[in-house]
Amino acid sequence: MKSRVYLKKILGLIFLVAAFLIVASFVPNFLTISNLLNVVRQSSIIGICAVGMTLVIIIKGIDLSISGLLAFSPMVSGILMLHGHNIFFSLAAGILVGLSMGFFNGLMVSTLSVPAFITTLVVGQVSEGLSLIMNGGRSIGGFPDSYVFLGNGTLFGIPISDYLMLIFFLIGFIILKFTSLGNHILALGGNETVLRQEGISVTKIQFFVYVFASFCTSVAGLLLSAQLDTVHPIQGEAYQLDSIAACVIGGVDMAGGYGSVSMAMVGALIIGSLRNSLNLLGVHPFMQNIFVGIIIISIVFITGRIRQRNRKATRGVL
Amino acid sequence: MNALLSSIRYFAKKNGSFLIFLILAIIASIAVPNFFALDNFAIIIKQSAIPLIACIGMTLVLMTGGIDLSMGYIVGFASITSGLLAKIYQWPIPAVVLATFIVGIAFGSLNGFIIQFMKVPAFITTLGSGYIIYGLAQIVSQGSIVSRLPEGFLAIGRTEMLGLPSSVFIAAVVLLIFYIIINKGIFGRSLRAFGYNAKAAEVSGVPISKINVSVYIASGLLAALAGMLFTIRVNAAQPNMGGGNFNFEVITAAIVGGTSLFGGVGSITGTLFGVLSIKIIENCINLMGISYHLYMAVQGVIILIAIIFENVKNKAL
Amino acid sequence: MNAPLLQMKNITKFIYGTDGKPIKNSDVKILRSVNFELLAGEVHVLVGENGAGKSTLMKILGGLIPPDEGQIFLKGRAVEFHNARTARTNGIAFIHQELNLCSNLDIAHNIFLGREPTKHGFRDKETMYIKSKELLQSLSTDINPSTLVGRLSTAQQQIVEIAKALSYDSKIVIMDEPTASLTAREIAILFDLIRKMSSKGIGIIYISHRFEEFREIGDRLSVLRDGQYIGTLSMDEFKPDKVIQMMVGRTINEFFPSSHIPTDEVILRVIGLKLTSKTKPINIMVRKGEILGIGGLVGSGRTELAKSIFGIRDFEDGNVEYQGKNITRKKPYQLIDEGIAYLTEDRKQEGLISEMTIRENLTLSSLKKVSRVGLISPSREHETANRLTKELSIVARSIEQLVGTLSGGNQQRCVFGKWLNTDPKLLILDEPTRGIDINAKAEIHKIIDDIAASGVAVIMISSELPELIGMSDRIYIMRTGSVIAEVQKGPEMTQERIIEYICAGCP
Repeated sequence: MKSRVYLKKILGLIFLVAAFLIVASFVPNFLTISNLLNVVRQSSIIGICAVGMTLVIIIKGIDLSISGLLAFSPMVSGILMLHGHNIFFSLAAGILVGLSMGFFNGLMVSTLSVPAFITTLVVGQVSEGLSLIMNGGRSIGGFPDSYVFLGNGTLFGIPISDYLMLIFFLIGFIILKFTSLGNHILALGGNETVLRQEGISVTKIQFFVYVFASFCTSVAGLLLSAQLDTVHPIQGEAYQLDSIAACVIGGVDMAGGYGSVSMAMVGALIIGSLRNSLNLLGVHPFMQNIFVGIIIISIVFITGRIRQRNRKATRGVL
Repeated sequence: MNALLSSIRYFAKKNGSFLIFLILAIIASIAVPNFFALDNFAIIIKQSAIPLIACIGMTLVLMTGGIDLSMGYIVGFASITSGLLAKIYQWPIPAVVLATFIVGIAFGSLNGFIIQFMKVPAFITTLGSGYIIYGLAQIVSQGSIVSRLPEGFLAIGRTEMLGLPSSVFIAAVVLLIFYIIINKGIFGRSLRAFGYNAKAAEVSGVPISKINVSVYIASGLLAALAGMLFTIRVNAAQPNMGGGNFNFEVITAAIVGGTSLFGGVGSITGTLFGVLSIKIIENCINLMGISYHLYMAVQGVIILIAIIFENVKNKAL
Repeated sequence: MNAPLLQMKNITKFIYGTDGKPIKNSDVKILRSVNFELLAGEVHVLVGENGAGKSTLMKILGGLIPPDEGQIFLKGRAVEFHNARTARTNGIAFIHQELNLCSNLDIAHNIFLGREPTKHGFRDKETMYIKSKELLQSLSTDINPSTLVGRLSTAQQQIVEIAKALSYDSKIVIMDEPTASLTAREIAILFDLIRKMSSKGIGIIYISHRFEEFREIGDRLSVLRDGQYIGTLSMDEFKPDKVIQMMVGRTINEFFPSSHIPTDEVILRVIGLKLTSKTKPINIMVRKGEILGIGGLVGSGRTELAKSIFGIRDFEDGNVEYQGKNITRKKPYQLIDEGIAYLTEDRKQEGLISEMTIRENLTLSSLKKVSRVGLISPSREHETANRLTKELSIVARSIEQLVGTLSGGNQQRCVFGKWLNTDPKLLILDEPTRGIDINAKAEIHKIIDDIAASGVAVIMISSELPELIGMSDRIYIMRTGSVIAEVQKGPEMTQERIIEYICAGCP
């Protein structure tokens, strides 16, 4: 029985890759090494965010603060760096900002029972507002080389961004598959009552997940600005939809309880490639959004139907 | 003494948003120079009118326990549509208005259909449709803005009556219509029942599919109307009109107005005062010369305070 | 140490008022000085009708609710449980009817949820899988512990729950209707497991209605009735008649009104209705002016049948005909227009809107009657609400009172009021007097009788046998999703007969 599930996952992946390669072959310049490495580099932002988002979706939440944090964290770090502060200190400050936002999300969701979508929407809006205030609505740039290297440099020929994506993938993977906390996170998404009965603190799990998600987001933001050598106050808006899309395409179930970081990573790569190939075809980003929107709604609908059918099948006599 | 306290508490619960509005107005009159002036009040009313129209739509959606994150983008689409049809294609004005309404109804129906029949959660649906609509608006506009719109079109919203533009009166009419529908109509009662307890409402004979789809059609329609009136106001049609910020402002106003995110609780008059309250704050920020971007952050704090307040109030119930 | 494994002495649980305080001087108690004993290695069957108090007693033992009076002793030592965890640490495992597992985790992770073994800080999956495999094998199953629980059949999930209980070194295992969804073969496997457990000295409390199983698996049998402990038999003494007598042997004090006379005109026909793909087709009919009772256990499908007729539940196959018209799968708002009304089993969650006033609830299903051109007329609404309040003797400060603050009896009257105002021709009642005190019950019975007397067809689902027998002209009995018997008013309509049908299938 296990092997059948495994087979389905592998088949799905193979199909996806095959379809993807076929489509890609129509697009000029897609299958070049440099472009592919570029795809991974561009996907890394989405991928890192998606790792955090996966955990949030598993516990039946959502994180809409990505758009704001992706700009706010690097804005804080950037301003500090431009004022001559030590790069590590500046980066740490940016990450700290992210952690506090995540903590706040967790607080609202767990203690005040505020729905996740509104909490994170508000935090996202506030962070974006703050990044606009911090420099009067203007972007900043011209960062120290060591920072820019993080975004654009390579190590043994592979961009550092890719390594970062890999590291976050591993972190998320290890948490979910190898720690007790990971089991609890999945259980919370699966059957909260059982978890409570076992005496496990739901609040702690929620805090962790939201703080972790914001941690991922702030690192992704720092990486993004390193890649661009700029912090644009509204640079995060494009990535909000894509991180959700990455998880959804990767098969993370919006209803909670199902999902893995590897799936989200695959989803991120697919989105990244989709964007890349559409760019190469000259399709305007705004038009691309239309596709992404349709894809998200369709996939959520389909997974919902499948789940409903499965539930009917395994239902008892009555 | 206890009786006095409990009647104060009762009044506060029923008229919370009015009190907030009153308190803000008083504080502003005292603390902010140039606030307490007739022409400043006129500005506030003019600023409130169009968002109020959209906010009424959002209130309906929130009362079902849902959310519409695409409203801001329908505003943009409606803007460019009405501008193009009025100026470039030179349609007769009534046709332009009708077409804009149809746009809002169409998008709203789509949202409603996906949410009710395809059972995709509201925030995902409207998040996705928002992006889709934004993309479509960009395509339709081909990146350009349409300005210097025909006089006849502009007259819809700019005709001066009693010192205020006609868009204010249009908003008042919308306010009145929906006040009647929600407070006195069968639809309003069914909507509230559905928002409180969808299952019990269904068993009691409330046609929940019809209601759930209707509220999204209403929010789409009202967003389109708001978009058209915005376009008239600034004499420019652009796909970027409204957007995520506008959406957020509308949600904030609705919640300050006492609408509950969980459904069932909400009122048109509450929304009115919610919008006025938000606009007073915006007005003060302008008068004090504070950056508009700060206002965005402040909005977030406002909505959080409102939600926490709501939570505390409910727990104390 | 010859003390029995478990002793529950004088366990009492009062009913609670809407203010959350127990009503101590009421005649009706959920449990009244109940005694129960369990020996090590014994399979002790616990029997009683719906509402007899079995599940409350077990919830107390399982630590889910506290007793109001009485004590629990484990091997002679007095214990108190504050929550389910404490009960489990004391060796008590409760396997509920609705299984308590995470379907998105595999077997091993479910068993070890909350106490995952670790190695160097990480989940020790190897140990988890090995231990789980051992547990499953000791239960003679070779299911792979890495299988997702969501993919297991109900029987297999049950085995996982048992394995989990064993992993806690449980000494007492409570099983609530374990065979409800199992096939014959699965039942045999389960019985094997039970025997294995009892041979290890584990005491098993087996709640069930299936007489045919008792002899096979039980050592002793205890009966509860109306919250009271009636007695215990050893399995050698087991005779179905004797047990039935203990279960229902009450004197029926209530006098049931019967001014209505059923007609011959059939108003509703259910044809070949299959509640799920696994149940048999249901065929029933109701006549005008008749009170049709539907009896059966909780879970036998009575409510599901009602909901399927009323269009709020999806079903597998079949048709519903009302006054000759096909109304299959029509929505409630359409059925109400036709004159069908449905009083749900759960009045708080599905019957009323607690956050709305009495007035608003009373008119919710008949808004058109108090409106004009889509607008509600306040005067008409007030008049209607006041009239209904008076007619049904709803006790409240005013019609503006929130329905959630009313007592159970008054809430039920509101529900009746709401439905009566729709001028129904067919009224479906699901447990109309549940949780209501005796006086209010009698009044509601009169209301039902009056309704039937005016020509309305009434379907009444009830778990209270006296009420079912006292009010019904005919009774259908349901079991596992289909109708297994029909009993006419007359010599056959006795409590004993009905329980016999319910517990043993067709005699």
